[in-house]
Amino acid sequence: MELTATHQDTLTELINIGYGRAAAALSELTGRRIILEVPKVAVHPINEVAATLTRVMSGEVASVHQVFSGPVSGNALLLLDHKAAVLLNSLLLDVPMSDGRLDSDGREAITEVGNIVLNACLGVFGNLLQVQVTFSVPRLHLESVSGVLSSISVRDRELQYALMVHTRFHLRDSDISGYMVIILGITSFSRLLSELEKWEQRETSS
Amino acid sequence: MNAHILVVDDSGFARRTLRQILESAGHTIDEAKDGNDALERYFLRKPDLVMLDMVMEGMGGMEVLAKMRELDPQAKVVLATADIQGSTRADAQTAGAAGFVSKPFERDQVLNAVSTVLTGGLSWN
Repeated sequence: MELTATHQDTLTELINIGYGRAAAALSELTGRRIILEVPKVAVHPINEVAATLTRVMSGEVASVHQVFSGPVSGNALLLLDHKAAVLLNSLLLDVPMSDGRLDSDGREAITEVGNIVLNACLGVFGNLLQVQVTFSVPRLHLESVSGVLSSISVRDRELQYALMVHTRFHLRDSDISGYMVIILGITSFSRLLSELEKWEQRETSS
Repeated sequence: MNAHILVVDDSGFARRTLRQILESAGHTIDEAKDGNDALERYFLRKPDLVMLDMVMEGMGGMEVLAKMRELDPQAKVVLATADIQGSTRADAQTAGAAGFVSKPFERDQVLNAVSTVLTGGLSWN
């Protein structure tokens, strides 16, 4: 199962626009400039997703997970390593950085950041592709990347393969960086490709 | 005013979209898919205006802008990017860019920015 070069290019641009909106939201929340990288788009067997992410993010992570549903449905994750989550929390709540775990205020703040950032990103996808998606309540997990992903794949048995898009973002003048990840199953993936083709047609034909 | 415009973006989709908008208004388009390609084409063909993406693999848009303006302080550059942060605009303005258009592109916004910058103005709305 592979993406054509045109699909890959169009999808990367769609994600680039969504992540641009998400970065603007995060920048507004933190008062810091967000440095973005070009999104990476690939199809992986679901059991390889964890290994791919673990290469760039090991140990316990703070992940905000949101399920989205509609014609295109899937899972969106904002992933921060634990230190970044604590630092981000101190920036958001304007409190000194603690060396311990996130308290309940901190968990709430990180969850809300995830909610805003993921909605900013996925809202753009919905608008541009003209498909309406609805979001579940965001959930914060503090565990390893593989733990988070295994709970997703157990819940959704359609996820034999996943379209995985991820990008690293970095807050300028800080040690905070993280990843946004979107995972889709086969049916939604096919629907997404069809909607992408329609979007390209609308945008590039006179 | 019909102009020769260099579109710099690593996304073929974005280049095609801008080409369609700009050609429909009578402009002539040249395309570059990365920073090095952009600098080479700029200095070979001296376009009237450059539409420049910010987030690209390798040399990013800000670096391309700095090099272009260093070698040609008269270079007219409009950012064409999904990065809509105010600080990105401020940095680009300081680095000498003349305008900004956000993705997804809207035909009127693109053509207004191009027209304003080609006539010597700035377009930051």
